[in-house]
Amino acid sequence: MSYFFQLVVSGIVVGSIYALSALGFVLIYKSSRVLNIAHGQIIAAGAFITYALTVFVGIHIVLSFLLSMVITFFLAMSVERVFLRRLIGEPIISVIMVTIGLMSIIDGIIYMTPFGAENFSFPEFLPKTPISFMGISMSWTQMVGVLITFTMIGAFTWFFKASTVGISMRAVSDDQFASMSIGISVPKVFGLAWATAGLSAAAAGGIIGNITGLNFYVLHSFGIIVFPVVIVGGLDSIFGAIVAGIIMGLIQQFASGYLDGHWGLYGTADVLPYIILLIILLFKPHGLFGIHEIERV
Amino acid sequence: MSESRWLATGNFFTSYKTEQRIFLTHIDRLVFICFLAVLFAWPLIIEVGNKYMLVIDSILIAIIAVYGLNLLTGFAGLISIGHAAFVGVGAYTLATFARTLGGDHILLTHYWPLMIIVAGLVGAVIGGIVGLPSLRLKHLYLVIATLSFQMIFQWFINFSKFYDQGQTIAIGRVFWFTGKVGRRDHYFFWYYVILVIVVILGFAVRNLLRSKHGRCLVAVRDNDRAADAMGMHPGFTKVYAFALAGFFAGVAGALHAYLWRGVGFESFLLHHSISYLAMAIVGGLGTLVGALVGPAAILILELQVESLAEFVGHYFTAVGDVATAFRPLSFGLVIVLFLMFEPRGIANWWRMVRSYFKLWPFRY
Amino acid sequence: MKHKQFTIMLVALSFLLLLGFSSQVMAGETYKMGLSIDMTGATSDVGTPYSKGVEDYVKYVNDEKLLGDDKLVCFIRDDGYKTEVTKRNFEDFLDEDIVFYLNYSTGSTMALRQDFQEEQIPVLPASFHAGNLEGNDYIFLPIASYSSQAVGLAEYVAANHKGSGKPKVALFLHPSAFGRAPRDDVKKSIDAGLAIDLVEIVEHGKDLDNTAMLKRFQSKGVQYVISQTVQPPVATMLKGAQSLGMIAKTYGEAGKITFLGCHYGGGPALVALAGSAANENYYWTTSYKMMTAKGPGRDAQFALAERYGRDENVAKDANYTNGIMVVQVAVETIRRAKAKGKKITRAALYEEMVAMNGFNAFNSLTTVGPVSFSKADREGVDTLQLYVSKGGLFYEIGAPFASEYVQKIK
Repeated sequence: MSYFFQLVVSGIVVGSIYALSALGFVLIYKSSRVLNIAHGQIIAAGAFITYALTVFVGIHIVLSFLLSMVITFFLAMSVERVFLRRLIGEPIISVIMVTIGLMSIIDGIIYMTPFGAENFSFPEFLPKTPISFMGISMSWTQMVGVLITFTMIGAFTWFFKASTVGISMRAVSDDQFASMSIGISVPKVFGLAWATAGLSAAAAGGIIGNITGLNFYVLHSFGIIVFPVVIVGGLDSIFGAIVAGIIMGLIQQFASGYLDGHWGLYGTADVLPYIILLIILLFKPHGLFGIHEIERV
Repeated sequence: MSESRWLATGNFFTSYKTEQRIFLTHIDRLVFICFLAVLFAWPLIIEVGNKYMLVIDSILIAIIAVYGLNLLTGFAGLISIGHAAFVGVGAYTLATFARTLGGDHILLTHYWPLMIIVAGLVGAVIGGIVGLPSLRLKHLYLVIATLSFQMIFQWFINFSKFYDQGQTIAIGRVFWFTGKVGRRDHYFFWYYVILVIVVILGFAVRNLLRSKHGRCLVAVRDNDRAADAMGMHPGFTKVYAFALAGFFAGVAGALHAYLWRGVGFESFLLHHSISYLAMAIVGGLGTLVGALVGPAAILILELQVESLAEFVGHYFTAVGDVATAFRPLSFGLVIVLFLMFEPRGIANWWRMVRSYFKLWPFRY
Repeated sequence: MKHKQFTIMLVALSFLLLLGFSSQVMAGETYKMGLSIDMTGATSDVGTPYSKGVEDYVKYVNDEKLLGDDKLVCFIRDDGYKTEVTKRNFEDFLDEDIVFYLNYSTGSTMALRQDFQEEQIPVLPASFHAGNLEGNDYIFLPIASYSSQAVGLAEYVAANHKGSGKPKVALFLHPSAFGRAPRDDVKKSIDAGLAIDLVEIVEHGKDLDNTAMLKRFQSKGVQYVISQTVQPPVATMLKGAQSLGMIAKTYGEAGKITFLGCHYGGGPALVALAGSAANENYYWTTSYKMMTAKGPGRDAQFALAERYGRDENVAKDANYTNGIMVVQVAVETIRRAKAKGKKITRAALYEEMVAMNGFNAFNSLTTVGPVSFSKADREGVDTLQLYVSKGGLFYEIGAPFASEYVQKIK
């Protein structure tokens, strides 16, 4: 039984990290309806900036973690300004293609640094003993990761619910023309959406980097891994991302915990989320918490 | 027929039939025939290395796959990022025969045209099945349904004992009237085979779009309820679009298996799907010319970027990984800049050039 | 002066390549080889130091005139772990008339083996999969195969287990041909009498958390985990095990898990990635000489890296050694063929490769045993060295050994 609860706890931990990684997709999609394929690369960049600040510059890891969030905030904002601003009003599929191109560009920039091809590991600052409760364990790194995730998600939820800027972002996602007419600057909102996505990506990068070590391929493949999370939750729902993240985390843990090795099955954790995703989508075509668009002919 | 069939400075159609002609003017037809003649003749005159022959062959195969993707995404408006898996279905149809009968079985080596068609049909069936969620899903949610298919395909092959867990399954060399096609003539032989298929399927796509079976795709893309009111079944049309895409992808997959002389799952991964989509978008969605130009543009760009990176690398040996980094960097930059300034793809240039000649000596 | 000339020649060559010409004229004897490797794909952390090793050693050969006045050219091209690009590169190299080819991944080696056979070109891949040798005569494994490595580790476990009963072992494999390579041979060895109890075989996914798996291992009494995969999953597993306090402090500590790994699942780059989790008591086997302890091989490698301006991480990487070693073998065959007055062709190099045994075995500074090839045995270095990490460095344990059971089950 403790094995079962261990799977549950691990699933929730992993799931909340997924949720944080998925948050960046949701933020961008919510305002501009664009799926940012290069998100994984931004996650990796955030992790590497944290590392560079900690080790090469010598700032304490907590500070450099915060600082890297600020840096990626502005980096992502300038990416939007330089590459995507021109494309407002162009077919969405072209914009998605541009993010595919961006993926290559960020790859290229990272391969110019040692991070592209060498492995690194964050300096350890947390206790190495696990937090154990009734035979269920979880590491300090994971604990801190979960705390950061929920703080971030809470902050974003408040931001969209209560702050003027957040509300104007929601207005833009609802109707661009109507929001323009009441004086909201749509390009600024898009810029801000990218910037906040960058910020959340840096946070995700820092946490994942602490769990897996810093390897470019591992970090950037998170961009794709969280795809089903984003969709199951509904592309435009922050709350949905948390729920879907945790569902995915649990599914994966249960799959690798109970299915792998039986009946000749292996690697089910990588495929089961997609199967479940298909089934969920057949019943709820807009994800669990996505907004149903009313279509008019 | 009042207007000249050689030159047309504007639209003078008097019946739908004239508007639906494959070639609007005799000049169009003449240019096309000359172009085709060049395509068939050049390998006999100019000799290029195997590498370039391989690249050209893979461009042609990608064109066939992108025909399908373009029908699906460009004409029917259903975005798919699982196209490489459809290509994989075609290739693995051959692998199924190779695993049960042996890679050098007469069916694979002598009756290869039949095998190519079979692979296309299997691709169509699987495409239709995968298209079923499109009855309910729209936009990006459908994208993810195709992504799921991609992931499930990869997992299935990678863990399936029958397919040797994704390791390369060899396909034997084929026979022609002159005997076995050896290594020396391999790429040369397949150039002609694939070129013929590209031309036939190109005409097929063009003719399809002239008929109601093609126009229904566009109608459903633009407004499915209106299409419904006109008597088309939107759901059936979407599934049919997936089946069509699956057919083209299946044919491409079979050719891929023959050209590479083996089927391994590493050729049908997610990033291949993304690059097929890139080809379709860069070429120009919703145009036949786009499907022809896009793959050539992307694959040649890749090659050029590689040479450029090597060239740069020789100058900056001390800087470290510049040569490595330069390749993705410049590839991404070209794509991004191109789409920033020409989001409608290369086909748009083609349209502008054509209209320039059409209106010459006047400008717009 | 020579160096400059060489650079100019390479520049001229790339110009020609740029223009699309496939043939060019060069003065004097130039031997060409090709390497297609992953520098921007899934395993760039392995491929990049490997390619640096190849590049530096080729420069060294030319600078020190190890081949007399003749020159060695090695085309190095990134394939991003894509088999199609590997094939394109290979065809390109053939158009350039290479006499020796270096390949990289297991997948592409398996996919191209028919071509190697038809072209009759000697090939040294970076993949040590024993299956590479089947169905062709021209692929040579530089060092002992993955099967030998994994079975060798299992033999060590069987011989050194302190507790009662058979030691309980789990295999942690990469979900690909590369990872599964030793699976069946380990099973066969157990059938042939190897005294271990194989409790579980795990093919890992992209897991962020291995707590459940590790707890399951522990509840089943698994004391040893043998990894045949790349470094990132091993690092994640080790970090997880560390935070659960499961890593054995000494070899075979009861109630804890001792982790062991094959060539690509260990080495200095793993320590860089896993930090303190791999610093102590991680067991690793390879046929390469360890780069962090003392010895002439290590000094020579560091000198080479310094000479061509590589940073420390590259200099001590096991795959930097890997790259140096394959060029050493290629140069040795060319040197031998030249000494016999043969014209340097693929066939001549192949003959020298298969004759490289007995008294003719090649002793390189980079490997723990002699490199020996013959028509029947195309596995280069037959011996393995076991290393253990202490304070972030790898130290030898015992003398080089060869796996017994791999011979038995053949």
